[in-house]
Amino acid sequence: MEGTIDSLLLGFSVAFRPDVLVYAFLGCLVGTLVGVLPGIGPLTGISILLPVTFGLDATKAVIMLAGIYYGSQYGGSTTSILMRIPGEASSVMTCIDGYAMARRGRGGAALCIAAGGSFVAGTFGLIVLTIVAPPLAAFAVRFGPPEYAALLVLGLIFLSYMSSTSLLRTLVMAVVGLMLGMVGIDSMTGHFRYSFDLPELGDGIGIVPVAVGLFGLGEILSTPSAKVVSDVAAPRLRELLPTRQEWRQSAMPILRGSVLGFFVGIIPGSAHIISSFLSYALERRLSKHPEEFGKGAVAGVAGPESANNSASTGAFVPMLALGVPTGPITAVLIGALAIHGVAAGPNLVSEHPDVFWGFVASMYVGNLMLLALNLPLVGLFVSVLRIPYSYLYPLIIMFCIVGVYAVNNSIVDVWIMLIMGVLGYGLRKFGFDPAPLVLGLVIAPIFELSLRQSLIMSNGDYLIFLQRPVSLALVAVSAGLLLLAAKSYVLRRKDWRASLAEAEAGEAQ
Amino acid sequence: MTIRADHVAGAALIATGLLIFALSGDLPFGTLAFPGAGFLPKIIAAFIVAMGALLVAGAARSAPFRALGWDDLKHAAPVLAIAVAATALYTQLGFAVTLVLMIFALLVLVERKKLVAAGSYSVIVVALAYVLFTVLRAPIPAGPFGF
Repeated sequence: MEGTIDSLLLGFSVAFRPDVLVYAFLGCLVGTLVGVLPGIGPLTGISILLPVTFGLDATKAVIMLAGIYYGSQYGGSTTSILMRIPGEASSVMTCIDGYAMARRGRGGAALCIAAGGSFVAGTFGLIVLTIVAPPLAAFAVRFGPPEYAALLVLGLIFLSYMSSTSLLRTLVMAVVGLMLGMVGIDSMTGHFRYSFDLPELGDGIGIVPVAVGLFGLGEILSTPSAKVVSDVAAPRLRELLPTRQEWRQSAMPILRGSVLGFFVGIIPGSAHIISSFLSYALERRLSKHPEEFGKGAVAGVAGPESANNSASTGAFVPMLALGVPTGPITAVLIGALAIHGVAAGPNLVSEHPDVFWGFVASMYVGNLMLLALNLPLVGLFVSVLRIPYSYLYPLIIMFCIVGVYAVNNSIVDVWIMLIMGVLGYGLRKFGFDPAPLVLGLVIAPIFELSLRQSLIMSNGDYLIFLQRPVSLALVAVSAGLLLLAAKSYVLRRKDWRASLAEAEAGEAQ
Repeated sequence: MTIRADHVAGAALIATGLLIFALSGDLPFGTLAFPGAGFLPKIIAAFIVAMGALLVAGAARSAPFRALGWDDLKHAAPVLAIAVAATALYTQLGFAVTLVLMIFALLVLVERKKLVAAGSYSVIVVALAYVLFTVLRAPIPAGPFGF
């Protein structure tokens, strides 16, 4: 524990450097804007701004990009509460009671509770992250190829199981992502695979063109400008403070949301989205007045907002300790670190303590910055929403093109981004979630290498995955999840995931 | 028979899987003891075909293909066409000229904005973006005019 505190102090010495503070602030600011604006999610924001970080060192780059991620969780609540438009998918549940509170004249209080809850949850998540990540990384150093292969399979199956779309649809997307990850030179034999004589494809398909295409351009193509309204009234500063009763009503939901969100966040999948749905359901079940939910219940804002912030912190545990992304956003962050020559994973703590602890410490600072930013400046952020969408999306397309081109100075990447934009548009039409595709793309090289190394180690015997205790446990959990999913499919019985999908569809309308 | 969304999605997946098999012809599968470059791609292609078949088999529960609603295509198609044109011109005309033209075209042709408003907006935002990217040292292609 003493060692952890010393390391954290080292992290704070990095995080409090003026230049690092500037980038943390920029990340939080841009993240809040990304969260506020409908049509730009954190993934698009991070992907577009990735090239901007090329001139920075790894610590500043990852601090700024992570600031965009957790900043967007804060910002997403603003449009949900004031306009009933979730600026970010994880804010969908906040729309229900947050908007109802706003209609009763308590919009300012709802914003304050959301920001307060986000701060408490974010800080709670960070404390657990600080305690849990280093020992987990120390344990994972002993992982060999079979353990990694089993862990990545478990990650994909967990992702599919947790998804609110069907298991089959999620697996399809993950497998297509794995296939895209096969493009390029085979690292073990040197064969060119599916590169069509394009030298740019020799290094494989980058995550940035895929993510920006699927989530940035794809979203724009799916959103006709005529359907986006921007009529909003900002609350005055003096209306921001909740009453004592509202604080009392929000205290336990914030605590429950913080704990629930963190543990859901560790699990692969769209954790920050799922956690807010689960928290809302939990609060409604525990409430003495469940009839108030949907009509402006304070717990309906405090719980989900805390849960989604805690989940976004929890998602950093597997990313930092194991090098395994839990979703497309952490996948892009791992890619960003790799661009700067830093490999996320068990050795990060020992090889780059300044990056690891600087990053952790900067999140404590970032949470404070976000609290200071979000409440007094809510009027400013809301005014951004007055920019008509018809003027905004050409700007986003411009940033998509410039951002993707800048990663490798490659126009081929921009063409890939356009193809992915069309694919993203099509996938949305057919009810597929593109997020697992990005995850599959990122883990493909690690998975392939681990699988082939495992088979070479065992002379082609697949039983190697069952002969080592850790990989056996991981395979058993994967099999258990598949059986659970198959049970509800065969019995045609609705499980919690089906209820979640119905709630998500209902609220998205 | 009503063609449903998952019939189309499943068929597209089966076609994709078969295409991958066709393109993987020269990649060695190797052996289990030493898997080759085509080992995992071919297994994945088989999975894609199988999953496509499962989607087709369960398609009765999906929405009819016609009911998907393609109204937004009227907006998406011209937006995409302009983005494609901008990409084709990006390295030829350079950052500034291409993106001014792209934003101007989107505003005038797709959004029916007035020429003066669209022109001023596109020039101003691209100029600001140019300054931003230059300051941040992000690589941007220069055209025949040097910007």
